[in-house]
Amino acid sequence: MRSNDVLGFIFAGTLDDKIPELAASRTTASVPIGGKYRLIDFVLSNMSNSGINNVGIVAKSNFLSLTDHVGSGSAYDLSKRRSNLTLLTPYDGKPFSNYVETIYNMHGYIEHCREEYILLSPGNVVTNFDYNALFDYHSKSDADITLIYKKGVVPAGYDRPVTLDVADDGKVTQVFVKPDVPDEVVNHFYGSVLLKKSLLMEEIRKALSLNELDIKKILQQAVGKYKVCAFENKGYTGIISSINSYFDFNMDLMKREVRDELFNPKRPIYTKVRDDAPSRYGLESRVKNSIIAQGCVIDGEVENCVISKGVYVGKGAKLSNCIVMQDTKIGKETNLNYVIIDKDVTIKDGRSLMGFGSYPIYIAKKSEV
Amino acid sequence: MQMFPKQEVVAMLLAGGQGSRLGVLTKKLAKPAVPFGGKYRIIDFPLSNCVNSGIEAVGILTQYQPLILNEYIGNGQPWDLDGMHSGVNCLSPYQAIQGADWYSGTANAIFQNINYIERYDPDYVVILSGDHIYKMDYNKMLEYHKEKNAACTIAVIDVPMEEASRFGILNTYEDGEIYEFDEKPEHPKSTNASMGIYIFSWKELRKYLTEDDALENSSHDFGKDVLPAMLNAGERMFAYPFEGYWKDVGTIDSLWEANMDLLDPNVTLDLKNIYSRNPMMPPHYVSPDANIQNSLVADGCNVEGDLEFSILFSGVTVGKGATVNSSIIMPGAVIEEGAVVKFAIVAENTVIKKGARVGQKPEEVDDRDNWGIAVIGENTVIPENAFVKAKEMIDSEVAASEK
Repeated sequence: MRSNDVLGFIFAGTLDDKIPELAASRTTASVPIGGKYRLIDFVLSNMSNSGINNVGIVAKSNFLSLTDHVGSGSAYDLSKRRSNLTLLTPYDGKPFSNYVETIYNMHGYIEHCREEYILLSPGNVVTNFDYNALFDYHSKSDADITLIYKKGVVPAGYDRPVTLDVADDGKVTQVFVKPDVPDEVVNHFYGSVLLKKSLLMEEIRKALSLNELDIKKILQQAVGKYKVCAFENKGYTGIISSINSYFDFNMDLMKREVRDELFNPKRPIYTKVRDDAPSRYGLESRVKNSIIAQGCVIDGEVENCVISKGVYVGKGAKLSNCIVMQDTKIGKETNLNYVIIDKDVTIKDGRSLMGFGSYPIYIAKKSEV
Repeated sequence: MQMFPKQEVVAMLLAGGQGSRLGVLTKKLAKPAVPFGGKYRIIDFPLSNCVNSGIEAVGILTQYQPLILNEYIGNGQPWDLDGMHSGVNCLSPYQAIQGADWYSGTANAIFQNINYIERYDPDYVVILSGDHIYKMDYNKMLEYHKEKNAACTIAVIDVPMEEASRFGILNTYEDGEIYEFDEKPEHPKSTNASMGIYIFSWKELRKYLTEDDALENSSHDFGKDVLPAMLNAGERMFAYPFEGYWKDVGTIDSLWEANMDLLDPNVTLDLKNIYSRNPMMPPHYVSPDANIQNSLVADGCNVEGDLEFSILFSGVTVGKGATVNSSIIMPGAVIEEGAVVKFAIVAENTVIKKGARVGQKPEEVDDRDNWGIAVIGENTVIPENAFVKAKEMIDSEVAASEK
């Protein structure tokens, strides 16, 4: 199989109920991350860099910021004669209640696309992944369905995570839907799966006719019927499933090995371009161990922070362990520790805000503090 | 045949010069493509000015080393110059039935592209050059041109009297009408320096270009031939006074100064609404050991050393214990651990190895009159512990031979 025979299919709203603050005015996939990106940039760039030409994004609600961000898809090289990015939004009053109905509602789009395979992906995973390795594996192992998994402890936020028993030959022997988040090392299936479109639609139709709306159960039953294989994502993977994992991922970017892997120049991460000037450091600035995007003016002290594009940090301000989203203004002589500050916020001069490592404070978009 | 909708104004940007005074920096690229200001190239300024002034058709005249420039301009999309019926075009010299000619002068370059201009049936043509840093609304100048019912309007900037003899000075009557051109006068009569920005009424310009082409002893240059011819013929020519930041960056010193001006809060130049291509790089990282004061840093940089009064373009690495002071470091360059770079320009993808020293402060040089900015050309390696003196210019071949 070739990558141009695979349709990318991304669920933009994955676990949005677990990050209610961040997703209050947007989809999970359009949550700002890492100073200049949105979550979806990673999966879209991976797909584009792997040679996938056609990508559909399912958005159930709150998708204005998503449409604004991905636009025509040209930033990801997905807007050409033979490559497309399509936003799939609710229509005809059919709400997106569960995966089975959602996929069925999109059968027109899915079946119309010329690709033979479909790669389903969640919108909450940050990784730099070459899908071609997955496609090779899928062909070589003659699998019907291949699930991508991550070995490790399941991140907090998954109510009933799907974990896999995998035999030495890569075959999935059992699929568990555990009632508790296990605190041990497991093979966590986070929602990325490759199969033929025809097989997917056949199973979805069958499930609907039996009024079976639980996709996890359908997957469990597939193990007996089809050859289901598992492919391990061994690379760095940030899974955003709670405000804490969001915070931790941003802080992971201070590690050189994480940055080197995520921002591999051979497989760049694309994003919507904004014409920001380089960031300007003032005469009394003091910046340590931080990620700073362009268009910022830094006159204060910044330590262990991710500062997004267009942020202003006033003189005498002290920021540590903060994530500051785009175009926010931090006033003079402020003191902020463990705070996640959304877009377009104004923190007035002299204000102090303190959160904790285990409980960062969140300041909503466009607030004035 | 494709019909082009009429454009009131067409801009022609002269980008073919070698810029020999920039030395190794223009060895493999045309002057307008020289990186500037942490993420731009010089040409971004006139191009952005065009777009911000509502000019939708821009011809770029290329001749010397056009590869990087052509690639950079591409389809013009970053400047919104990728319209269906207009946009940006790189115009190189070409062969025709009558023969083939290089552009022999600035006026000749426009003359050879009359057919490009006439596709748009313009009323006015703006002539720009690709080696100036400034922000200007050409519309205001056009309004002035129309108001004065001029055949040609030349933008001028007020320069200090003691510097006036370095410029082309325009002497005017009180109403702004030009009565004399004074090229680098020993005793200047005024301080109106030409900025190299001309607006012509197209009918008149076309006539004078055609006449100039027929003259055998003409150098086919605007300043030397066409403008004096128009003045002698009694055409209405006006000086348009511009206020704001403007700098010719045709020399190493002026290029360095213009970059440093971006770090000076008292300078009026800002980078808002200047468009450019954006490399796909993550935000920059500043390590716990780094120290950054009064500098500009672009995406993709990794700063572990000390940075003062400097400009880092995208993807630059400054190693632990390295010092960069009053310098311009172009994309992808690496300053290794313990290296010291001061008062220098380091071009793209060059590596300054551990412990090497590049450039000197003015006070560190015995002969102050011979002090200058040190320049290292692109893709050069400065070996470990090597020393590059002030004002030296090194390119990859020199560096290799000294090894």
